[in-house]
Amino acid sequence: MNKTWQLTKVMLKNGSGFLGGKAKDRWKKIALLLLACLGLLPLMSAYVMIASALYDGLKLVGQETVLLGLGLAAACLGIFVLGIFYVLSVFFYSQDIEHLLPLPLKPAQIIGAKFLVTLLYEYATVAILLGPLLITYGVKSGAGVLYYLHMLITFLVLPVIPVVLASLVAMVFMRFTNIGKSKDRFRLVGGLVATAIAIGFQAIVQRGASTIENAEQLQEMILSDKNMFLSLVTQMFPTSRLGAMALAEAGTLVGIGYLGAFLFISAAFGAALIILGDRLYLKGVMGISETAAKRQRASAEEFDRMTGKRSAFLAYAIKEWKTLFRTPAFLLNCVLSSLFLPFIAFLPLATRSDGLSGLSAYGEMLQSETAAGIGIAIAVAAAMFITTTGSISVTAISREGQNFFVNKFLPVPASVIILAKIVPGCILGVFSLLLMEVLAGIALQAPVSFLLLSFVAAVPGILFINLIGIMIDLNMPKLDWDSEQKAVKQNMNTLIPLIIMLAVSGLIFFFVIQGDAASSMVAGTVCVLFVIVDLILYRILMKKGPGWMEKID
Amino acid sequence: MIELQGVTKSYNGSTKAVDNLQLTIPRGEIFGFLGPNGAGKTTTIKMITGITRPDRGTVLINGKDILTDTVAAKRQFGFVPDSPDLFLRLRGLEYVNFMADMYEVPHSLRKERIEVLAKRFDMIDALTDPIQSYSHGMRQKIIIMGVLIHEPEVWIMDEPLTGLDPKSSYTLKEMMREHADSGRTVLFSTHVLEVAEKLCDRVAIINKGVLQFCGTFREMQEHFQSDESLERLFLEMTDHE
Repeated sequence: MNKTWQLTKVMLKNGSGFLGGKAKDRWKKIALLLLACLGLLPLMSAYVMIASALYDGLKLVGQETVLLGLGLAAACLGIFVLGIFYVLSVFFYSQDIEHLLPLPLKPAQIIGAKFLVTLLYEYATVAILLGPLLITYGVKSGAGVLYYLHMLITFLVLPVIPVVLASLVAMVFMRFTNIGKSKDRFRLVGGLVATAIAIGFQAIVQRGASTIENAEQLQEMILSDKNMFLSLVTQMFPTSRLGAMALAEAGTLVGIGYLGAFLFISAAFGAALIILGDRLYLKGVMGISETAAKRQRASAEEFDRMTGKRSAFLAYAIKEWKTLFRTPAFLLNCVLSSLFLPFIAFLPLATRSDGLSGLSAYGEMLQSETAAGIGIAIAVAAAMFITTTGSISVTAISREGQNFFVNKFLPVPASVIILAKIVPGCILGVFSLLLMEVLAGIALQAPVSFLLLSFVAAVPGILFINLIGIMIDLNMPKLDWDSEQKAVKQNMNTLIPLIIMLAVSGLIFFFVIQGDAASSMVAGTVCVLFVIVDLILYRILMKKGPGWMEKID
Repeated sequence: MIELQGVTKSYNGSTKAVDNLQLTIPRGEIFGFLGPNGAGKTTTIKMITGITRPDRGTVLINGKDILTDTVAAKRQFGFVPDSPDLFLRLRGLEYVNFMADMYEVPHSLRKERIEVLAKRFDMIDALTDPIQSYSHGMRQKIIIMGVLIHEPEVWIMDEPLTGLDPKSSYTLKEMMREHADSGRTVLFSTHVLEVAEKLCDRVAIINKGVLQFCGTFREMQEHFQSDESLERLFLEMTDHE
């Protein structure tokens, strides 16, 4: 136990957590966090309002505890899904593995420490997912101190079971895919299948959710217990009911009993992880960094093809592209979202109760000029959103990690490197846009003129997000990561383009709705404005960028 | 030729990693850069190659200032960093070709050069494999190949022999000798004093950021009036504090 604890401490320090690093950077990070909180504020207040309305409604029928049960179960699901990615990165793809394996440690000790680290990461998720709900419930029910005490304990214990389950899923997956020479590819396919399942799951959820139009219907749905999603979630995490009862009955003996049971079962899960992990973990993690090699001489043609001459700009952009596609963590987080999100965006439409046939009605709507104007605003916002979530340009410097110094001795002007770095983000952004256009053309039967106009308006928007992204990353890159996942996922910089994107989209919607203008007018104005802003950003980037790059150590 | 004039670098504004370094490395020489761990060798090399900006002083490579005439200065040298774990996701040949593109090596020349280098380093069969699948020594060799693809006039190498097998190590040393003998410059850092003693025309010893000695091995023995080996002289010079 002592070793596990020491290992945990070292891992947390080595992970150069959020507040690590230089004092100057620390202030930047805190400012950024505050900004992000500010950006989340509207969302959070909407959350609190919905929770509070639901509480009032359920209170009338004396079923307000359902709210807690549902909240805890949904939080467990969220932790579980995110947990799989955390676990893969912490348990398997972290660079400390190769140093830990030769040490005289039991697998259980490594797993224990890594489990605690993952748990700590998850508390941030729980705080956002559950904090507002639990506090709203407490305030609304006028609960006493004991409720908040139970709340704290529940908060700390709740992630244990979903993280254990996520760890087991990840360990079993890694154990049985750690075979053969092309295991990276095998794992990728596995990951793709899992993502497809997740999307399918999303479709089911959407089908359930799209029938809800107001809070009363949601209440009905919760109480009728007929909804697939809700019963699925509560069945998956039955212990969340214990947690809910512990909170609802806080201060009574029954409540303490529920809390005890909740703690006991969570501890049992933890023990199960240690026991199973002891058998599974090593077989999955050993040899994880091995890569297949053919050791075959290139044929004359192959050799000729691979030694073609390109300009420095093109060669650099291609290097970026290959690295992005060949690094599993980058592929999963940056590239696949660009490919999947267009489909996901159409799911809520496609899963409507009237099915695809109802969709062409949207297409007809787009024939009307003002509706098409709003349609263009939606297309621009969606294209920018997908580019933002890919986080390709905003992590283009961070992804280099400790090897960033190479850029500094290459005999290539910094401006060329900077521009080459935004190429993959722009190409994938435009690709996602094209995907959406095709989907809109097929599913909505949107008019060609609409598709063309929205394309012209959205492309400079995509460039805008990429320019903003690289400017942010040049100014505060995150280079000291120990697993590739951290360069792209646990990188606070990715939040800034999101905030900017939301604000810009909000502005566009505001003016489009206020202006009530024709679609060609909307597309033309949005396009011209973006082009002007892009040109200004480009000029700034070319003038200041090389200096920013030089300051990076 | 590499010239350092009054080069100074401090971290946190107080600790001086390199203090007022004055150094000229002429053409036709293999120049060894020695010093204990943390002496400032790598920091100096980083300043010469444009990775770190010195607080004060100038660095000239073949007369071109790395700070003001940056790209032209960078074209003069090839740099082998101390860790070869670079471009791991690329195949060996992709990396070498990438470097050839960066240094604008003509297509007709690069094929021939890659073949010659691959043969010398026994890497022909590994060229199409990902660098990630290479051993430490193979990574070192592919990095060296990428650096030499543009036939730089000045070679700057940070611990280039680490991890190389005896044959590759011998080949590289031989190549360094040929390069210097053809009237060009080789600067390399090392901890292995036997190598420095046998290979270098001149050495500089740096400790705590300050240049302790610069000259031939013979000059060093004369300076200390002893017949002792470089190892003893080195220990004497760097332990006395």
